[in-house]
Amino acid sequence: MISYLLRRGSRVVRIILFISFCNAVLAEVEIYGEASYENRYFVEEGLFGQDKSHSSFTLSPEFYFESEDQKTSFTFKPKIRRDSVDNERNLFDIQDFSLVKVQDSYETRIGIRRDFWGVTETVHRVDIINQTDQVESFDGEDKLGQPMINLSLEREWGTLDLYVLIGFRERTFAGEKGRLRLPFPIDRNSAQYESSAENLRTDFAIRWSQYYQDLELALSHFSGTSREPEFKAALKNNTNLIIPYYEVIDQTGLEVLYIVGGLAFKLEAISRSGQGDRFSAATAGFEYTQVGILSSSLDLGWLFEFNHDDRYKDSPIALGARLTFNDLYDSQILSGVIRNEETGETNVFVEASRRVRNCCRLSFESVYFNEGTNSNSVQKTFEYLKQDDFARFEFIYYLGN
Amino acid sequence: MRKLFKHFLFVSLFIFLNFTNADDFDRGLEIALATDKNFSGFGDSQTNLKMLLKNRKGFVTERKMKMKLLEVPNDGDKSLIVFDSPRDVRGVAVLSYAHKVGSDEQWLYLPALKRVKRVASKNRTGPFLGSEFSLEDLSFQEIEKYTYKYLRDEDLEGKGCYVIKRIPLDPYSGYTKQIVWIDKTDSVILQIHHYDRKSFHLKTQIFKGYKKYLNKFWRPNEIHMINHQTNKTTTLFFEEMTFNTGLSEKDFTQNSLKRSK
Repeated sequence: MISYLLRRGSRVVRIILFISFCNAVLAEVEIYGEASYENRYFVEEGLFGQDKSHSSFTLSPEFYFESEDQKTSFTFKPKIRRDSVDNERNLFDIQDFSLVKVQDSYETRIGIRRDFWGVTETVHRVDIINQTDQVESFDGEDKLGQPMINLSLEREWGTLDLYVLIGFRERTFAGEKGRLRLPFPIDRNSAQYESSAENLRTDFAIRWSQYYQDLELALSHFSGTSREPEFKAALKNNTNLIIPYYEVIDQTGLEVLYIVGGLAFKLEAISRSGQGDRFSAATAGFEYTQVGILSSSLDLGWLFEFNHDDRYKDSPIALGARLTFNDLYDSQILSGVIRNEETGETNVFVEASRRVRNCCRLSFESVYFNEGTNSNSVQKTFEYLKQDDFARFEFIYYLGN
Repeated sequence: MRKLFKHFLFVSLFIFLNFTNADDFDRGLEIALATDKNFSGFGDSQTNLKMLLKNRKGFVTERKMKMKLLEVPNDGDKSLIVFDSPRDVRGVAVLSYAHKVGSDEQWLYLPALKRVKRVASKNRTGPFLGSEFSLEDLSFQEIEKYTYKYLRDEDLEGKGCYVIKRIPLDPYSGYTKQIVWIDKTDSVILQIHHYDRKSFHLKTQIFKGYKKYLNKFWRPNEIHMINHQTNKTTTLFFEEMTFNTGLSEKDFTQNSLKRSK
């Protein structure tokens, strides 16, 4: 590990010097962002002989500028990740490089951006603007920057967002030496597309959202290259490979959130065409928080979500509990179980984190896969991950003053 | 029989005396309404907030945030709070629409995920950012959200005060009652005793350093919140408060929440 840091050290120093230089030149620019180090420790060696210990370093400074009248702002946020083992986990991405202009009746956002759609917690079905940086985390909530022009109108009848999405970003996949992967390496660079424009196709999306007191509603439609690929087997240089195949899809999404007291009901549903037969998928559930349990300042939140997807013969359920300590260090623990009755699989996870001093955060995550004893013919979701139980420690330093 | 009659008379007299106290409810409301004058017609305001959190052993930590407020005629106010520090919550923001009648609406913006999340209004009684303030304490306290009763006149640190009792109408409030000390001359709140769901005197809130803005609106410079159960204290400082800053409804939408820094 130390030798790894030393090897990478000079580059890191250069980057930090560069940031300091930028800071001095552009006194008006505010700098946020974070630098983090993580270590994932796997209990067993990988199914394909991969290492037990993987570490990585990530730097993602954020440069922010705002005009005096706060009507124009500019954000630049690159993200650099270096992994000690898996080259495919190395990343240079521009998360944000965008200009936001607020006009009287609308807002224009141009450049590379990230945007989130959705209400549920365990699966994000409706969210489609950005590609998933799948190797970053197991929950799939980390995204890659997407070039776009986004016009947003806020009216009495709700908020309407129109998107022109320019070009496409390929999903990241673990490499041959990486963990949490399929038996054959996925060759990102040989990705194939249905569209003749390949990864340069211009896609479109629209979303309307509105709230009526305790009810929140959103309807969206996306027409373009699917963020979720199909996989094709291929032979390249006498090696069996899997190639991602990105089709052109049309996806309509619905988001509903309804609040009754401390209870929030949630629903996300999609209908998609373009990848074989038209299919639908949905995630529905609720979240309930008990404030101040056992006469303390602790909050205990309960989460239950049910999944359905026409493409698979299973409907996994997720049950989670979030303990918020409400202390000086913003300590919290989230744990959950995802149970798939049809395949017999159980997936257990625990995430805990707390603030360290004013600048940093320490987090711990542990994921456990159990393939169960079902011997029926249903294909298992985590078949190739059964040796990938892991614990992950992360230390994040937040830049700024 | 006569004894019973006498007893009845006594009870009736007692009830009658209690009924005359109905005036105390009117008087309580009147006193509360007078404090509300400080909040009607202010238009909009912006301020920086600094929070000092002190634990039992005297260890102090700091939180910084910015707050924008907009007065909405005939309804509750709108507010937007953006966190500056600690650094891991920088950019996290809370947008609230208070209502005179019915429950408030509240959204949380998580910049790391670019996600706007609706918060159930029930979940506002816990400590806010580890401080002794709850979101309920920090949200705008509309007159219509309580019932009032005048208790007595009393001096507080040499100032003549009315003491009133107010009971939250919100079934999800963290408090069963609040005893409020109101300065007679300026009609500003000087102190509140908060009683929790078990009617235990949980917290004392003290308002200090009142300043008059625009020749009309009194605002405190600092608010202290003392938790008697944990012996922890949080002090909230208002810095650079400005009025008539040109804010409008458009600065309190979900889009403005998403771009708040």
